[in-house]
Amino acid sequence: MITENNILNHSDQNSVIEIKHLKKTFNGNTVLKDISMNVRKSENVVILGKSGIGKSVLIKCIVGLIQPDSGSLKVFDREVSDMNSNELNILRTKVGFIFQGNALYDSMTVRENLEFPLRRNKILRDSHEIESLIVEALENVKLLDAIDKMPSELSGGMKKRIGVARTLILKPEIILYDEPTTGLDPLTSREISNLILEIQTKSKASSIVISHDLNCAKITSNRMLILHSGVFKAKGTFDELMNSEDEWVRSYFKTE
Amino acid sequence: MKLNIKKIFRKQNNQIQHSADNIWLDTFLLELGGLSRFTVQFFRELFRPPYEHKEFLRQANKIGLSTLPLIGITAFIMGLVLTLQSKPVMAEFGAESWLPGMVSVSIVREIGPVITALICAGKIGSGIGAELGSMRVTEQIDAMEVSGTNPMNYLVVTRVLATTFMIPILVFYADIISFYGSYVAINLHDFMSLRLFMNLAFDPLHYFDLIPATVKTFFFGFAIGLIGCYKGYYSEMGTEGVGKAANSAVVISSLVIFIIDLIAVQLADLSSIFFN
Repeated sequence: MITENNILNHSDQNSVIEIKHLKKTFNGNTVLKDISMNVRKSENVVILGKSGIGKSVLIKCIVGLIQPDSGSLKVFDREVSDMNSNELNILRTKVGFIFQGNALYDSMTVRENLEFPLRRNKILRDSHEIESLIVEALENVKLLDAIDKMPSELSGGMKKRIGVARTLILKPEIILYDEPTTGLDPLTSREISNLILEIQTKSKASSIVISHDLNCAKITSNRMLILHSGVFKAKGTFDELMNSEDEWVRSYFKTE
Repeated sequence: MKLNIKKIFRKQNNQIQHSADNIWLDTFLLELGGLSRFTVQFFRELFRPPYEHKEFLRQANKIGLSTLPLIGITAFIMGLVLTLQSKPVMAEFGAESWLPGMVSVSIVREIGPVITALICAGKIGSGIGAELGSMRVTEQIDAMEVSGTNPMNYLVVTRVLATTFMIPILVFYADIISFYGSYVAINLHDFMSLRLFMNLAFDPLHYFDLIPATVKTFFFGFAIGLIGCYKGYYSEMGTEGVGKAANSAVVISSLVIFIIDLIAVQLADLSSIFFN
């Protein structure tokens, strides 16, 4: 029986996610052809790419929401496809996922949204401890005032922040952001990007940020990968890629 | 030449018909397989903690309260119309005094459970299908999964249990209101005391009328909840998918209600022969 401890007992302390030759096809359309990458501890990796190119598919494979066709995908040195549902649930409490559309439970208040993963995972049973964790998570995203509001009463930026708070409440070691700034105005986008950076600094969590927003990538990334036609076409830091000798990479930055 | 063209058309039509039949059969078998797997999953999750008592009560309350007015009005009209329509025929045979008994047997055995279940399939089944469908589309179900919680346990088990236990209560409520409708109908032209009406209505009712009628309502409730949840849980993406989920939840559960009713009637018939 695999427990939480040996799931998280990674052999390589530096690499928390390791992907090799990953392939995924939907109805004959190969979305991910040959993906290889790794994410090191406390590192923010930004994956850039046009819409519909398979960026979200890749991070959904990491949390086991989508099964890849072939290749190896290791999180904390454990192959995700070999995990049973219990092991996957344990892993998922350590890997936070922030959805593009926030995915807040619209029949619950903000408090209930944050309480839900704690209560269901039986991480805390004491109601005072749960309450203090909720308050702390909301203070981190500067939205304590919204604690008793319904998601329908919140703006797009606020929903995004609550989504981040709900993910942070489980204190994940890896956070996957699916287009965190999509649909937001430039000012709110910048706020969210700064929040991602702040979270990395505070919690030392590793992150993959899926985006096609260059400003967000500039603020949040330690390293960047550009996904094109099912493979990573370019890798490097933001400055390296922007000043790349490869015309395609440079033009990508201009067109984006 | 004309004959050849006719032959070609006939052949093509046959091929199209054949492939259409195959698609229909494939879809039917896929749906049946999916629903069977979903049912097994439901029973597996039913006994697995955590048990969501609070959510079950919330759903039961929502299902019961939201349907009470609609069921009440329909049941009252049902009892009233059934009595008014049957009255002239019964009067022709000089059997007007049997009217409350005939109405009560019809309502308790068949009309009450089936009509209530059909209304619930339309209101509750479509509601569950649309709710879970929109949760699927807005990735709320995925969000539950990635936070390490089991959405099947929280969303499906609570809703299916709520419909399973609430439909029999709603049927009981509908039967009582229908009796009242029938009593009002009789008193529109004649006078009959409530006490006499109740005596005449309950006199022909036996345990063999009540038990199968009650047992089948649990199955009706289970089918409505399960099919609504199945269609919503596996809804296709997009708003069209939500609409389809709600629509097919109503269509399939209505059909299943009639199938369960048919089986229940046959079993009740067989058991009455066996026990008599």
